[in-house]
Amino acid sequence: MQDPGPAFRVGVDVGGTFTDAVAYDDETRSVRYAKVPSTPGDPAEAVVAALEALDIEGSDIDRFVHGITIGTNAILEGRGAEVWMLVTRGFRDVLDIARTNRATLYDITTLKPLPIVPRSRTAEIDERIMFDGSVLAPLDEDRVRAAIDSLSLGPDAAVVVCLLHSYAFPGHERRVAALVREAHPEVFVCTSSDVLPQFREYERFNTAALNAYIGPLMNRYLSDLEHRLQGRGYGRNVFIMTSNGGVSTAGRARRLPIATVLSGPAGGVAAALHLGSRTGIRNLITCDMGGTSTDVCLISDLHVPVTGEQTIGSYANRTPQIEINTVGAGGGSIAWLDAGDILAVGPRSAGAAPGPACYGKGGTDATVTDANLVLNRLKSGSRLAGHIALDRDRAVAAMAPLMDRLGLEVDALAEGIVRIAVARMVSAIKQISIAKGFDPRDFVLCSYGGAGPMHAASIAEEMDISRVVLPRGPGNFAALGSLISDIRQDHALTKTLQPARTGYAEIDGVFRSMEEEGRAQLQAEGVAPEHIAVRRSLGMRYLGQSWELDVDIPDEVQSAEAVDAAFHAVHDRRFGHRSAGATEIVTFRIAVIGRVAPLALPALPGGGDLAAAVVERRRVYFDGAFRDTPVYDRGRIPPEAAIEGPAVVEEAGATTVLPPAWRGYANGHGDLILERR
Amino acid sequence: MAAPGVDPITLEVVTEGLIAIVREMRATIIRASYSSVIYEFDDFSCALFDPDGQMVAQSWDHPGHVLPLPWGVGCALEDFRDDLKPGDAVLLNDPYRGGTHLNDVTLLFPVFDECGAPMVFPAVRAHWVDVGGMVPGSYSGLSTNIYQEGVRIPPIKIVEEGRVNRSAMALLMANMRVPEEREGDLNASFGACRIAEQRIRRLYDKYGRACVEDCIATHLDRTERRLRDRIAALPDGDYCYEDYLEYFDDGRLDPVLMRLRLTVSGDRMIADFAGTNPQVPGVVNSSLAVTGAGVFVAIKATLDPGGAVNQGAFRPVELRAPEASIADVRHDAPAGAHGEVRKRAVSVTLGALSQIVPDRVSGDLCGTSFPNAIGGFNKRRDRQYVYYEAPAGGNGGFLQHDGPSAMVNVDFGNLPSIQTVESIENEMPLLVERCELRIDSGGPGTSRGGLGMRREVRLLDDEGSYSVLSDRAVIPPFGVLGGGSGAPYIVSVVRDGGETGFPTPGKVTGHTIRRDDIVVMRSAGGGGYGDPLARDPASVRRDVAEGLVSRAAAAEVYGVVLDDGGEIDGAASEAARTALAAARYRARVVADDALDPYVGGRGRRRTVRFSPAMAARLGVSEGDLTEVMGANPAPLRAWVTVDAGHIDDTVLLDPFGRKALGVEHGDTVVLRPVPTPGVPGGLA
Repeated sequence: MQDPGPAFRVGVDVGGTFTDAVAYDDETRSVRYAKVPSTPGDPAEAVVAALEALDIEGSDIDRFVHGITIGTNAILEGRGAEVWMLVTRGFRDVLDIARTNRATLYDITTLKPLPIVPRSRTAEIDERIMFDGSVLAPLDEDRVRAAIDSLSLGPDAAVVVCLLHSYAFPGHERRVAALVREAHPEVFVCTSSDVLPQFREYERFNTAALNAYIGPLMNRYLSDLEHRLQGRGYGRNVFIMTSNGGVSTAGRARRLPIATVLSGPAGGVAAALHLGSRTGIRNLITCDMGGTSTDVCLISDLHVPVTGEQTIGSYANRTPQIEINTVGAGGGSIAWLDAGDILAVGPRSAGAAPGPACYGKGGTDATVTDANLVLNRLKSGSRLAGHIALDRDRAVAAMAPLMDRLGLEVDALAEGIVRIAVARMVSAIKQISIAKGFDPRDFVLCSYGGAGPMHAASIAEEMDISRVVLPRGPGNFAALGSLISDIRQDHALTKTLQPARTGYAEIDGVFRSMEEEGRAQLQAEGVAPEHIAVRRSLGMRYLGQSWELDVDIPDEVQSAEAVDAAFHAVHDRRFGHRSAGATEIVTFRIAVIGRVAPLALPALPGGGDLAAAVVERRRVYFDGAFRDTPVYDRGRIPPEAAIEGPAVVEEAGATTVLPPAWRGYANGHGDLILERR
Repeated sequence: MAAPGVDPITLEVVTEGLIAIVREMRATIIRASYSSVIYEFDDFSCALFDPDGQMVAQSWDHPGHVLPLPWGVGCALEDFRDDLKPGDAVLLNDPYRGGTHLNDVTLLFPVFDECGAPMVFPAVRAHWVDVGGMVPGSYSGLSTNIYQEGVRIPPIKIVEEGRVNRSAMALLMANMRVPEEREGDLNASFGACRIAEQRIRRLYDKYGRACVEDCIATHLDRTERRLRDRIAALPDGDYCYEDYLEYFDDGRLDPVLMRLRLTVSGDRMIADFAGTNPQVPGVVNSSLAVTGAGVFVAIKATLDPGGAVNQGAFRPVELRAPEASIADVRHDAPAGAHGEVRKRAVSVTLGALSQIVPDRVSGDLCGTSFPNAIGGFNKRRDRQYVYYEAPAGGNGGFLQHDGPSAMVNVDFGNLPSIQTVESIENEMPLLVERCELRIDSGGPGTSRGGLGMRREVRLLDDEGSYSVLSDRAVIPPFGVLGGGSGAPYIVSVVRDGGETGFPTPGKVTGHTIRRDDIVVMRSAGGGGYGDPLARDPASVRRDVAEGLVSRAAAAEVYGVVLDDGGEIDGAASEAARTALAAARYRARVVADDALDPYVGGRGRRRTVRFSPAMAARLGVSEGDLTEVMGANPAPLRAWVTVDAGHIDDTVLLDPFGRKALGVEHGDTVVLRPVPTPGVPGGLA
């Protein structure tokens, strides 16, 4: 009999406050959860601690998938590498000048974001490529060497090579990069054409500069992580969740760290999509509330929106990513007084260290978690992630300075802090729903993350949403999502041609050569050929238009006429009209997908008595008063039994709050469904 | 707050829902238009109107477009009030009837319910790259009447009960360049309106007419209240300022005057342009709709950033201007450069506001839209092309920060002013040689004005035609509170290594360029804020290290002397600052209530009389531009008249001048020269 090999798939999601892990055993179909405090100074330490908490040896792991936010955080907090740029002569200010537009309207004090590479860290290169890839001025290698010598690269520096029209001819960029590596083998180097081989230099250069900005940090982290996992006996590929909702190998993530900026939130969205198909809830607003921030995403008719036009912080990033809106409010967000003594919450967070005041780890600022503890929504003395005991007295003490300034009792202040945190999340949800023409009342709120279930009903109430779903294992939901996500690599190539003139054979030829390379890359990363699928799409426009439209090209499209017909149809649907004019292809895109076996989560056994699930009754604050409230153990709630609010449901890693106007029940998979009465 | 029956969530869902419809219209226009200005530059606007023509929703729309839009809608409704039927659509671009300039073509798309009652309806205004006229791109710096600027379309029904008026369409298209693209642009506008119509119907179906109308009324009222509250907090009074647009009469510079008296009275404001120049046969005129947009933007952007923009926000501000003036143009004066009039209205309003809220204004903005056009035939793609870019300049410094460089001014909204080099070169026979920030162009100040940019474009075809229509090419953006002027706009052509400017700076029409000629466009810097001698020397040092300010300017303007290693020489800097401060020229105000300081041909420009000794002291001569700085933050510009009989060290000022400067008889003012480029034709 053949050895079945290692059984576990393990997903680990590193958040700002906690590191969550999920292990799925493909043989027994069982799931294990673990949660440990994050270790921001050395994130890999928490990953290893999470594996220990799961009690799984590296040699028992078939596949290790990882969601990380260190790249995102570095960009948002301005803590990336010192990036130097080598750029075509005459264009050192592309990042600074940008598109010259304004970030806000009707405000005379609007500023431009600081360029990722300041003027003084750019050096110009003598060369020039034309739009068709021909060389107008050859690369002057001696002067390139001199330019490289002029850079005073520090130990953590990175270099980005940005030359005009490199998408049409990457030769110059690659040669410059090689010369940089020759002179500085230890420095992170990338080229704009490797990061994003598409035209429009500002967007390409900026995306490449961001890639360089987080490159050194991510490389150090991933090397360290692989080393430690090997030390625990895991010698296979480490996979990283990517912003497009797929996963990639760590090797690719090292070269293209910018593709992982939404690594953390993407896992949760993937899991929510899975939950939606499993439960038949096709319209979901996801709300992933962790310790530091909250990510929201709108899934309409089980369609996850992916865009190539997002920004991170104030910076253009053109790598494909799930449309997610992030707000700097989470359980660890600190309450403070704005000018004029207006109570504000976040974006500063107590994070994992020192953490909220009630953790007793040195934090003295009042946080959202402290407020929930004061309101008894969290249980005093209970333990988080195994070893942090919540100390209500410390939470009350942390409130004192704010109470004095505002003249509020501690309970009223705590309730105010929670309401403000909720308002910030509501505002983030409005931006992805109401602001885009969706009525939030047509959606079910799917809330997870450590702090999600606690605030879900309040958020829903503010948005007039009548139904909430809280998945099983909410604190580890993103980690679970990473286990079920396919490997996905998006490739794009700018190449302009008119279908009617060139014919289908040439179009097909471009796709085939892209596919060949894409498949080879995936196979090199260990994916069996039979598990690889490819999806084609084209960026097309009418001749004379300047913005292209994405058109899916399914297998049955086998002629230039069919390509055109597909474009006409999309144009008509999207813009309300079509034209008889000639069409043009601008960008070829493929998604190369390495399929992963689905999870088969077992249903929970039915039966049991709801009364037996009550672990205690305590006085919990709702609407201005403490009320006697039952507290349930989530694991012991029988399916379909009705829980009436006010109620609190506890489990390892999360606490659910049902305000008085709400009721709830567990479905057969252990998801909690809340409904407004 | 909410009307009876409207709960706060519904109020927000409906008002945000209307804005979301506009957003969807915008996405449609951007992606489906043919005119590069529309799709690359967002040079268009979309809005929703109620049946009375009140603007109820807009989004990230170009303020210069969307703010005058209600005037156009108003004119169309006036013409067709009782004659609009389901399936009708109205087209217009007439600047005398609520348009802006002829290139901005507006489509109204009335929507009716099944009972025939009018509903909220969409309108789109989009800049078509060409609407005929004497040059490619249509509007020209040398137009003397509107007939040279293209086809004028008064409000007409381009579609009647669903049937396109083919005759009108054929007539329009026959008079425009690249007509198939213009038809594409119109289709994009129709597409956006159809999408909006569907969404509007859905909104009414879901919430009901009464609820939608309640929400709109409540929302407009609360928007109005918010701005009124801000105005009510300001001290009542009259605040005056003046500035100029650059008009050339037969090659001679003949500056035209824009004068504003801004009155704060309780919770309302009156912007009165009395004394503003009569209209002239040149492109420095526009409608009151456009002038008012400039006033509104400046008020909103300083007093109430972040508030909603709809008809409610317009209510607290009343506009007045003399008929047939540059601020309220009438037939048949040209109206091509509406953006310039709007921008100067922003400048004078900022100048007046600086007297009320000096902490919230900035130095003057670069102050022109700078549309550069190159047209010709692209052999490679076998079609005509029009290159169009408007490289943004600097913005004024403000209390907290240096002005942003190369960023469109606040009246342009989110409009990107340049295309990517790679798009241009893919589509046109052009090669962009260089695009970089323009050193020393930012107005000096405690907070420095932002820098302009330098963009060079080479022609790769045999022949092309270059036009530009720019202001602030002679009279630069002003600084406030002692801050200096930004560098003015400059355009030139480099041929065979030699650079040639133009005799009418900033105004070029149909100039023939040949293969390998390079058009060099330099955009202006923003005005400085505060005394440059008070700027933190470390900031000056950093500016030099980043290549934004030259070592020479650091020493001569900021009094910061750097050693060979680029570090601050403390002692030398202190000495330099002391010397620069001591060298400032102060003069005494002599009140002269009978004085008419203005001269000019068709224009009117302020003169200031100097004795020969004063002129020598300032290093200026007859006809040079100077600035007079008084107690108010913004300076007055005046052209020097040398008079041997004038008493040394005195300045005669009329009542308006004293009011604008905040000075009285016997007060001290500071005089300084404002360097300007030469105009071979001289002054009118």
